[in-house]
Amino acid sequence: MKTNYLFPYRLKKISGIIFLISFITLTVFYFLDEFAYFEIKSKVFAVVGNTGLLGENDWFGWVENSITDEILVVLSIVFGIIFAFSKEKYEDEMVMSVRLNSLAWATIINYILIVLSYIFIYGVSFLTVMSAIMFSQLLIFIILFRYNIYKLNKAGTDEE
Amino acid sequence: MKNNIKVQRAIHNFTQQDLADKIGVSRQTINAMEKGKYVPSTVLALKLSQLFKISVNEIFELEAED
Repeated sequence: MKTNYLFPYRLKKISGIIFLISFITLTVFYFLDEFAYFEIKSKVFAVVGNTGLLGENDWFGWVENSITDEILVVLSIVFGIIFAFSKEKYEDEMVMSVRLNSLAWATIINYILIVLSYIFIYGVSFLTVMSAIMFSQLLIFIILFRYNIYKLNKAGTDEE
Repeated sequence: MKNNIKVQRAIHNFTQQDLADKIGVSRQTINAMEKGKYVPSTVLALKLSQLFKISVNEIFELEAED
């Protein structure tokens, strides 16, 4: 059976490395203020942009913004998707079923997290949590899938 | 679902790796099937049947809970 929506196996290692580096940098960047030093200021085109949290919305205009986080987010998501959905070394129908299973569980766990944070987290912290949740499904999927494949390979080593 | 892949494999004197290579899956898949942890697709069942030269019913058997 042919699966045509997966990326080739040779992209796996490199995309994994880029994903990990950009994701960790992004996390550190988010929590440390000293990283303001690395900000790259640029004029960017905004569909919606406003000044300050309660400012008026400006539609379709140019705004001044640090693009460091934009670069890191795009890198994390693009390479995270490639890493998560590239073929395994031995791709077959069982790997496919493990992938589907992990994806279903990742979606369920992620929505449980969303519901819990919606109920229990209020104020500005909620915004922080919501921006973290942009990545959580992908991250949970990657962790679950890698763990299941690891378990499979481990179980497969005891022949006869 | 029960299967006797392990028996058939022994009759034909294949290792798990041999069988895996012949039907185009990983050795882990053969291992999981023999342990009853993975139910193969119809395509894979037919490939096994073709390789062992017996019918699919002779390899796989339904159990009460299926």
